Amino acid sequence: MSLETPPRPVIGSPCRPYRRGVENAILGGVCGGLAIRLGVNERTIRVIFSLLALVSGVGLLLYMLLWLTLPRANEEHSIAHRLLGRRRELHRVLFGFILVVAFIIVLDRLGIPSLGIYTWPFLLSVAGVIGVWRGATPDEHKHLEELVRSAPLIRVPTTPTKKNLLLRVLLGTVLVLLGLRTLSRLHGYWGGSTSVLFGTMILIAGVLILLAPWWLATLNELSGERRARVRVEERANVAAHLHDSVLQTLTLIERAAGDESAVVRLARTQERELRQWLFDPHRVVGDEAGTYTSQLRSLESEIENDYGVTVELVVVGDCAADDDVLALVAAGREAAINAARWSDASSLSIFAEVEPAIVSLFVRDRGKGFDVDAIPHDRQGIALSIRQRMIQHGGTSTVKSTRDVGTEVQLSLPRTP
Amino acid sequence: MTSGQPRVFLVDDHELIRTGIRSELAGSVDIVGEADDVQAAIEMIVERTPDVVLLDVHMPGGGGLAVLRAVCEKSLNVRFLALSVSDSSEDVISVIRAGARGYVTKNISGPDLLDAIYRVAAGDAVFSPRLAGFVLDAFSLEGRNLEAGDVDPDLDLLTPRERQVLRLIARGYSYRDIATELEISTKTVESHVSSVLRKLQLSNRHQLTHWASERHLN
Repeated sequence: MSLETPPRPVIGSPCRPYRRGVENAILGGVCGGLAIRLGVNERTIRVIFSLLALVSGVGLLLYMLLWLTLPRANEEHSIAHRLLGRRRELHRVLFGFILVVAFIIVLDRLGIPSLGIYTWPFLLSVAGVIGVWRGATPDEHKHLEELVRSAPLIRVPTTPTKKNLLLRVLLGTVLVLLGLRTLSRLHGYWGGSTSVLFGTMILIAGVLILLAPWWLATLNELSGERRARVRVEERANVAAHLHDSVLQTLTLIERAAGDESAVVRLARTQERELRQWLFDPHRVVGDEAGTYTSQLRSLESEIENDYGVTVELVVVGDCAADDDVLALVAAGREAAINAARWSDASSLSIFAEVEPAIVSLFVRDRGKGFDVDAIPHDRQGIALSIRQRMIQHGGTSTVKSTRDVGTEVQLSLPRTP
Repeated sequence: MTSGQPRVFLVDDHELIRTGIRSELAGSVDIVGEADDVQAAIEMIVERTPDVVLLDVHMPGGGGLAVLRAVCEKSLNVRFLALSVSDSSEDVISVIRAGARGYVTKNISGPDLLDAIYRVAAGDAVFSPRLAGFVLDAFSLEGRNLEAGDVDPDLDLLTPRERQVLRLIARGYSYRDIATELEISTKTVESHVSSVLRKLQLSNRHQLTHWASERHLN
């Protein structure tokens, strides 16, 4: 029993309708819910229910009835509502109930007296438990499974040992025999309602202990099945993606086997796509078209696709792509195309950083370089288009180049607050 | 065993990658062993104490992080260089914080990889442009989140010079290029990078964690 004080409803706060408790539930949360609803200590209610259960099982029946007909807190429908809504479930519950009745009749035939006045409450409760199990939500299932698992002695070790098994069978058998013996003495001189109850309880405990491993194995199998289904679906998704992208690209690579630059280009494109899928699954292509980073990423793929060089792009920070930023990217694009076309380098680095007051972009290659002061005539226009573009948007540009070391174009733009 | 060549151990669960690296490094380093899973890697590294372990970040059974943690516990004189295709900044930063001396991507060229191995063997740090970007990102966000009442006395943010060096690495500069650009010696560049690495590893400040979780959410 929980030692915590029960949550009491605050006066004036809505506490209707009556729901079964979740946090303070031991079994079905009926007592806990009632405690919350009435603002009474939950222990009191549990004692009352237990006493009522002793009086010809009324408490037990009441409990089952409430368990079935009351929705759990945070849930919309009651278990009974769910069961009645599903014809197949209803059939199963009825079938289980008939089985229990048959069991009692067999006991009767064997000369073992049935449970006296407790027969019907007991039968109905068993049917109720079956109903609860069939109609419970996954959430409640979890709670019940934990309950069964944490019950002492029923807990099944992950690797059952011989000693463990022996103890289980011994204990279970002793309890079953003891229970049957108590029940069979009903009509003896010391029989009475108390011994019926104890006999039944001992019997149930014995059966539980004997059957627990089998029962839990079934449970695990069921949830395992559910997990397996999810896995299969997940796998199908991955397979579909791999087929659409990776397999197609591999076929293209096989067909382009003689063309080195085409192979590299295809491989890089696929790599980029796969990376995004693996590490950035939430970003839909074209979704963040309006940011600096996304502009640079499309620039990266454009350069790699069109010029067959690899681009190492590093971006620190991000901002929205307004007209100024777009101009910066366009200038960077010119610089990158220049590097890809003329430097003879197989790769180039693009570094972009967004700081509070400035946005910068660096395009660097380790190619053959050139003399900045003596730019060939046909390339002057491009240099101008970089420089002029930056000046127009209030930014600056610097081109640094050393023969046989490489070239770097540095672009920066003040950020408008 | 050739003296003078660093003793290198390969950890990668992909046979193809190991073969590729082996053939690229053949003759230039002394490859003392390789492993394709976490447990074998830990045992063999402890047994053979190589100078440098080339460590794959993504592996079944805990990944490179598990190897790093297990070996670092034994405080052997083994240095780690993370080698990965991973783009995920959390993975990379966590491997660095666990004690790796550097991080390079698997598409690194043979000579560059060799250079990185020698540098790690000599006790220096190796930052690829991408790692430099991650670190800048981490520390810049950290700076931004700093409220007046939130200042940690141990807060060793990057110095302007360290930032400058990291930016140049991210721009694709080699250590020698950086030395020329900043008119300092290559040794000084190395010491700046090592100090950034130390700050990353020693700091367990919540801002960095916060940064990682924020990245994860985005």
